[in-house]
Amino acid sequence: MTIQVMTSPIPASPRVVLCLDRIGRRRAGRVAVQELSLELQAGQVLGLLGVNGAGKSTTLAMIAGALRPDSGGIALNGEDFLEHPELARTQIGWLPERAPVWAELTVVEHLDAHGRLRGLSGTALRTARAAIIERLELQPLARRLAGVLSQGQRQRLGLACALLHRPSLLVLDEPANALDPVQVAALRALVREQAAAGTAVILSTHLLAEVTAVCDRVAILHEGTLRHDGPVRAGDHAALEQTFFAIAMNGVARAA
Amino acid sequence: MSHAFANTLAVTRLEWRRLLVRPLAWVLAALTVAWLAWNFTLMLGGFLASQVQRAAQPDGPGFVDLVGVPLLGMLAQLAFLVVPLLTMSTLAGERRNDTLPLLFAAGVPASRIVLGKYLAVLGWLLLWLALALAMPLALAHATHIDWGKLAAATLGLALMLAALAAIGVACSSFASHPALAAAAALVIALALWSVNLGAQMAGVNGGAINWLAMSTHLQPLLRGLVSSADLVWFALLIVLALALATRRLAADKERN
Repeated sequence: MTIQVMTSPIPASPRVVLCLDRIGRRRAGRVAVQELSLELQAGQVLGLLGVNGAGKSTTLAMIAGALRPDSGGIALNGEDFLEHPELARTQIGWLPERAPVWAELTVVEHLDAHGRLRGLSGTALRTARAAIIERLELQPLARRLAGVLSQGQRQRLGLACALLHRPSLLVLDEPANALDPVQVAALRALVREQAAAGTAVILSTHLLAEVTAVCDRVAILHEGTLRHDGPVRAGDHAALEQTFFAIAMNGVARAA
Repeated sequence: MSHAFANTLAVTRLEWRRLLVRPLAWVLAALTVAWLAWNFTLMLGGFLASQVQRAAQPDGPGFVDLVGVPLLGMLAQLAFLVVPLLTMSTLAGERRNDTLPLLFAAGVPASRIVLGKYLAVLGWLLLWLALALAMPLALAHATHIDWGKLAAATLGLALMLAALAAIGVACSSFASHPALAAAAALVIALALWSVNLGAQMAGVNGGAINWLAMSTHLQPLLRGLVSSADLVWFALLIVLALALATRRLAADKERN
């Protein structure tokens, strides 16, 4: 088992895109995340595992800037993110769980709205929109209202919105939800493509196979605390499963 | 363009677009303008029928007194119902659809979200006012119009709509469901209008209770009297309501 407790001060080193320094957050009267520290480098894909209620979505919402931690610090590309939440505008792309949408807007209007919120306009917005529509094969859905899309289609739209402005950090909360096997394969290819281009990716999932297929590193959360942080060895599904279940059953994980 | 302005504009455009594609806004506009047009023709008929009698009174009421201002008065009555319905979803709807975090994660501060949404609703309401105003103005070439009185009454209506919109947005920021926001906005607006009713019936025309009432500040404007004290009252109400909305929205990010 590798338990990593980061105490490095903000700002982090330049190659590090994201640095969480003992962040904590209470939700609905209970501790959702506590003393969570980890680093993520450019081009790295980190899988976040945990049972329901482990604190994965809360952690990702804090990283994305949708929630503010009660304690600790977050550095984004070396800058204090809590001091400058506007950094999220250009540097973070976030796909929340269940991909919420503005039901009244079409797919194209959705992308335009997200682009404007992220500081794109004019030709830059149109170019980025056309590129992401082509990359995620959203052409047949372009004029359809977001409210009538299936969950899988909404996931793709959410992913397109997260990628539109070419963020340096991509935060994906259960991105494979409701996707068919072909789309899951396409999603994995996309994540690897983003990582190869230098984007740091953090994704939460319930699927261990997802982690072994696409991630360089895995972090396992349990009851709001980080219980494991280590590299993923290709094809070593059994070891990951053993570690995960040991933690999930509230035992002490043993190093694989 | 500064980030703050671009953020506000992006939220305004998003909200404006959503208003335009939502049937509620169109239905409200169509029904209320039709109602106002019907009443306009009735009032115009009455005005024309009494023209001979009024010719004998050189200082008697004119077209603006008998048609223009009463029409705006009807719009004011309709506004108590229309504005809460229009503002109810601005923030409560976002919260209910889980789309509020998308705005936070785009680095948009709570104050810009509130301001952006407020400006979109205000734009719609001013357009509504312009449509109502177009009716008496269409006869400008055929009758004598007291432009000063009409301008003062229009200013009063615009301020009243702006104040009701701010109250509506504030209620929407506190409510978990749009219907609750609409009900709260309606009750607060009616209370603010009639808070001095008892004092008026008792013959009291001054004091804090009368100062608090919206009717105290709108009626002089409808009579053509523009006083800076009335303008400041509306400005204070708008700022207070928007500040409360901002505070509540910021708490969503801090506390949820």
